[in-house]
Amino acid sequence: MKVGSLNDAAPASEGKSKLINEKSFFGRFTDRASESRGKVIIYSSALLMIVAVVAITLFLTIQGLRSFVVDHLNFWTFITGTEWYPDRTKNPTFGAFPFIFGSLAVTFLAALIATPIAIGTAVFMAEIAKKWGTKVMQPVIEILVGIPSVVYGLIGLSIVVPFLRQHFGGTGFNLIAGAFVVGIMILPTVASIAADSLRAVPDSLRQASFAIGGTKWQTIWRVVIPAAGSSLLTAIILGMSRAFGEALAVQMVIGNARDLPKSILDPSATLTTIITLSMGHTTTGSLLNDALWSLGLILLLISYVFIVIIRFLGKRGESR
Amino acid sequence: MMIQMENNIVTFANNNTVNKEMPIQINVEHVDIYYGDNHAVKDVNLPIHEKSITALIGPSGCGKSTFIRTINRMNDLIPSARCEGTISYKDVNILNPKVDVVQLRKEIGMVFQQPNPFPKSISENIQLPLRFAGVRNKKTLRKATEDCLKQVGLWDEVKDRLDRSATSLSGGQQQRLCIARALALKPDVILLDEPTSALDPVSSSKIEELLLELKNSYTIIIVTHNMQQAARIADFTAFFYQGELVEFGETRKLFTNPEKKSTSDYISGRFG
Repeated sequence: MKVGSLNDAAPASEGKSKLINEKSFFGRFTDRASESRGKVIIYSSALLMIVAVVAITLFLTIQGLRSFVVDHLNFWTFITGTEWYPDRTKNPTFGAFPFIFGSLAVTFLAALIATPIAIGTAVFMAEIAKKWGTKVMQPVIEILVGIPSVVYGLIGLSIVVPFLRQHFGGTGFNLIAGAFVVGIMILPTVASIAADSLRAVPDSLRQASFAIGGTKWQTIWRVVIPAAGSSLLTAIILGMSRAFGEALAVQMVIGNARDLPKSILDPSATLTTIITLSMGHTTTGSLLNDALWSLGLILLLISYVFIVIIRFLGKRGESR
Repeated sequence: MMIQMENNIVTFANNNTVNKEMPIQINVEHVDIYYGDNHAVKDVNLPIHEKSITALIGPSGCGKSTFIRTINRMNDLIPSARCEGTISYKDVNILNPKVDVVQLRKEIGMVFQQPNPFPKSISENIQLPLRFAGVRNKKTLRKATEDCLKQVGLWDEVKDRLDRSATSLSGGQQQRLCIARALALKPDVILLDEPTSALDPVSSSKIEELLLELKNSYTIIIVTHNMQQAARIADFTAFFYQGELVEFGETRKLFTNPEKKSTSDYISGRFG
């Protein structure tokens, strides 16, 4: 049999083979109505997401830079200054450091409180009681993730704050109360991601560990957790980024003081709480309004840092 | 003494070292293994001789892997697996529920089909079993690392990069590392579950040579689907078929003069 070209194989009346699409790029795009409709919906959804992220960043940047460009606040004194008296008619000061510090302190303390419990829960779910873990613990944790933050705030208000007041004196509204409430709040998020990352550790490693005389505990502690390493860290940092952005629950228990806290038992404030508390009392374009936008910009930038760290850890996890 | 089969497939390079006088180290009597309702291994009786290589051969799904994983109780990890009968080792029935499986696995090591080094450094891979056993002394650990790597012929290849990740090694090197890791606790018996089936021919033959050396100090049981491999290295061979131990004997005899028809059918490649 002769091996013919495409033209030989197709009937002469149809000209070129159907296999070859002669249409232009645009022609192909609009070829079939249903195809193009699906494409338009999906492409525009993706585009919308990107536009939203860029728009939010741009908007916040423009608004956040106003206080430095238009109002001529000094950027350095803004982020390092410890005095926040924007409402003084004579010589108002904008020192945002107490809030940056408060945000970071709440975040790290919350992570410190949540991490051991979350990893413990994850080990229980993924390694010890696998059936029970997936059938009972997983739904419980999903419920905990779904509880609105105001409920966590209320619990903090009615349990944590009185407890601290009784045992440590003061009002009970302080930094550690905020960290505690947020720590409990991010606990389920961290636990469920950590459990997923433990489940992703291949069984062959557990078998290898048992085969060399490892006990269950040794296997978990020396083999499974180190093997899950970077993705466990990702879980923690994801929890931290959630803690960092939380406003409502923190605001209810932290005491909202504008001074730099001297200890974890001092009332304090965070970037988010100061924005939610003050924004309603300002007029657009006023100095305080601009300064609050600047706080928002700082918040966004630090959130980006968290995301970059998560991406970096994810990449490192893949390459290993 | 070299015997070659007519079709040139099987070469016995090892039978001059067959040692019938070697005492029995592990004795398997009437062992039945079930996965739920599935009767995977049926009434197996088998002696394992000390300091010799015993190969378990048979087609896929014949129960040979299930059986080898019972010897160090790895099947405990499968909830539905159940095991009856007696496997005596050091006057103890391994299948007794009271047996300390952690100690048992220190004395009966295992190497798996897929090389499974820990995602840690090369030296940590060798040292982890010792750390599990409570060894803390740095000098002892370093010495053991060197000894084990030398035993598997990996020392010269990796001595300059002991701190590098074990996953950076080639497949064959990883498998030799896994063997070295199994040697770290100086076990009596080493179980190998198709250790070369994921490797290229050169790496496989290196492992075979290694096993022939190791049998001077250890009892070796190897599952293989490669009959030539069994013929090349094993002193004794057991042929499993559909969960039953069809035939067991000296490798040379089993391959040249099998008693059962299904054995001769399998080794001549008529099925499998």
